[in-house]
Amino acid sequence: MKVHGCTGAWVHGCVVLGCIVLAPVMATAQTGVVSGTITTSAKGLAAVRVTIDQNVCGNELADESIVVDAQGRLANAVVILAGVKGAAAAETVVTNEKCRFGPRVQLARPNGNVRTTSKDPILHTTQAQVGNGRTLFNVALPMPGINITKPIGNAGIVRLNCNTHPWMRGWMIVTDEAAAVSGADGRFTIDNVPPGTYELRVWHEALKGAPQKITVAAGKPTEVNFQVK
Amino acid sequence: MWGAWCARCHAQDGTGKIAEPTVKVQPMDFTDCKLTTAEPDADWERAIAKGGPGVGLSPQMPAFEDSLSAEQVSAFVSHIRGFCKERGWPSGNNNFPRPIVTEKAFPENEFLILPAISHDKEVEIVGLYEMRLGKRSMFEVAVPAVSVPGDPRAGGIGDLEVSLKHTIFARAQTPRIVSLGLDAVIPSGNDEKGLGHGTAFFEPFISAGAMLGNWYLQTQVKVELPVDPDKAERAFVYNGYLGRDTSMAPNTWTLGVELNGENHEVSLTPQVRKGLTGTGALAMSIGAMVPINEREERGVRWVGYLLWEFLEPLRARK
Repeated sequence: MKVHGCTGAWVHGCVVLGCIVLAPVMATAQTGVVSGTITTSAKGLAAVRVTIDQNVCGNELADESIVVDAQGRLANAVVILAGVKGAAAAETVVTNEKCRFGPRVQLARPNGNVRTTSKDPILHTTQAQVGNGRTLFNVALPMPGINITKPIGNAGIVRLNCNTHPWMRGWMIVTDEAAAVSGADGRFTIDNVPPGTYELRVWHEALKGAPQKITVAAGKPTEVNFQVK
Repeated sequence: MWGAWCARCHAQDGTGKIAEPTVKVQPMDFTDCKLTTAEPDADWERAIAKGGPGVGLSPQMPAFEDSLSAEQVSAFVSHIRGFCKERGWPSGNNNFPRPIVTEKAFPENEFLILPAISHDKEVEIVGLYEMRLGKRSMFEVAVPAVSVPGDPRAGGIGDLEVSLKHTIFARAQTPRIVSLGLDAVIPSGNDEKGLGHGTAFFEPFISAGAMLGNWYLQTQVKVELPVDPDKAERAFVYNGYLGRDTSMAPNTWTLGVELNGENHEVSLTPQVRKGLTGTGALAMSIGAMVPINEREERGVRWVGYLLWEFLEPLRARK
């Protein structure tokens, strides 16, 4: 979670003295940073052949279910630090562009909002479903530039589908715990972690990994690597 | 816009048949007039605006209320209505919520169970099957099971009833509908035990309905003509219903009151109806028929129904 904010007893000081300058310094002194790399032996999947709306979507699109580089470093995995409060944005944005959801995976705050928008001149839909298949909402985006905001509730893992382009998939992890999404290099970082022992869990839409016990010390980085399969 | 947006799932010709479907649930065939004419425009508008779940149908149908105006939604409904190429189907705008006693004018495909309990402990449960015939007609058969107080209490099948109804006038925009019908009562119930009348009846009737603002007005006038006048008297029956929905959802609560008259006997029947599934294909109603004259002899009669519109989906497919 690359958000440097004020925590605990420092909040009052931040308000008086200015949060932007002091917060990183205080956070470093009082808290730790958890970072690491997520790798896998799984291979990326073959591209999806596009049979509709090729003028917008192209003739084929990468299957982003598993995005892994040549060194096996895995993108779009989520690590969650159990028991530590986080602060995902109050509103998350999903963009329908060139017949894919961007970003593919992101974090959302419980009882926050998700805004879906489109840059494509074709009909997309954003159908948000929870684990039991229940649909939270399904909205049509028939033209570019439309913005539709819906409450996300406290749904846990939310899957996004487009009913007109079945390969389109997105995920929202709704959590109030500290969490991060791995980048294209498989790296993740969670800042401002109070010292202590925690369980660090990993989630991926297609792969699984075991949780790990970690100990975070004040002012020190903690490196945790995951192998998922 | 139909071709660019809706045809992806509903097909250019409205049949819902797509070579490479992108949804798991095959949409309704909009060219099938008996399906697409039976429900009011408001339900179709709601399905487009709120998506499938707004009318109890599949969540794979998205909501357009954030991207289209109400006028644009209405234009799509008009386009969808145009897929039925046959003239003469009465508009579903005239398909009003069924009153408990008053015969509605719109021809239906329904199965009903109608229980009634009188103040003197007479219990009647009628099984009613209504089947649409063609565009504007309907056949109906009613089988009553009757239990009458006495010493000993008697019970059994009462007088069967078969009916035909035909809609002679229906207007879509400001909804108005008029139907003519004929009930024939078959004296299958044992009249000595009080389960039947001991004579056949022919009962011609006229039913009419109208929307007055947001209110449903439904009326029926019927003459009951016994074949054997020694067994039963002629009767003049008149029923009127006024009611309204409490929301736009198909499973809304509907509040109403009927005026029910037979010769000099007059009753008021306040009632409440509720759709039991999201589509409204299952519904129930309950009311109290309260006499407004001869009150001590007649007493209150509890009435109601459980209704199943058997051509409608009960609930959404995922």
